[in-house]
Amino acid sequence: MSDQAAARRRPALDHLVFWFLFSQGGVISALFLPVHVVVQGILGPLDIVPVADQHYDTWVRVLGNPLVKLYILVLVMFSFFHFAHRLRYLLVDFGVHAARSVPAQAVFYGGAVVVTLVTIWILLTTAPLGG
Amino acid sequence: MTTEAQAAPREYSWRMPANWWTRQRHYFLYILREFTALPMALWLIWLLYEIRRAGSGAAHYYPPRSGAFVAFSVVVLLFSLYHSYTFLKLAGVIIRIKVLDRPVPSRLIVFAMFGAWAAASAVVAFVLIWFAR
Repeated sequence: MSDQAAARRRPALDHLVFWFLFSQGGVISALFLPVHVVVQGILGPLDIVPVADQHYDTWVRVLGNPLVKLYILVLVMFSFFHFAHRLRYLLVDFGVHAARSVPAQAVFYGGAVVVTLVTIWILLTTAPLGG
Repeated sequence: MTTEAQAAPREYSWRMPANWWTRQRHYFLYILREFTALPMALWLIWLLYEIRRAGSGAAHYYPPRSGAFVAFSVVVLLFSLYHSYTFLKLAGVIIRIKVLDRPVPSRLIVFAMFGAWAAASAVVAFVLIWFAR
């Protein structure tokens, strides 16, 4: 088998990973983000319903739950890979051909990695586990 | 052969006009769908900031209550609802499942995705409101 034929048969692992992150991020942000915006961004600040983040004690108690920490990490990590992909292709659609380049990919997907690492740091340092 | 003929051929690369996405409603909605990522990203960054502020202690924590924040959230909500609607509706085209060797109708897959959206929203809202007590 020639090298070219072998390359054709090899699964495009990088495409698989990025498409997985993109599609999962799209689904997760579609399922979970609107309710956060409604409850924490509108109903809570307007005092229509009591919301955990309106008081320090209740907010820290929720954030101290390991399942909540894991949920927030999954929500942010996958969503930001989705956002990075969409915003990069938005620039391509607007005629910014440099957005296809490897440095641009490093900036966008690297940005998603940075946000993920910052999220891990925030979740580990903000509220003690089980608090 | 003349000198001009031997010169490298000129490239006339075709470029889309800058306003191509305003020419058809379908194009505009496509760009709008792609753009939803930006406001949603900004709102999630705010959420991270909100979580981080809780680490500064009770004395430094103040809940988000400003009218500007509510207005920002209303705008983000419109974009995020549009993202949810378009992305979950797409599931009927992308997902192919067979049950007992028969393909599941795409309409049923879309219905299941919207059901999952309602269930996920109910669970998250319940947690955020229940633990406020």
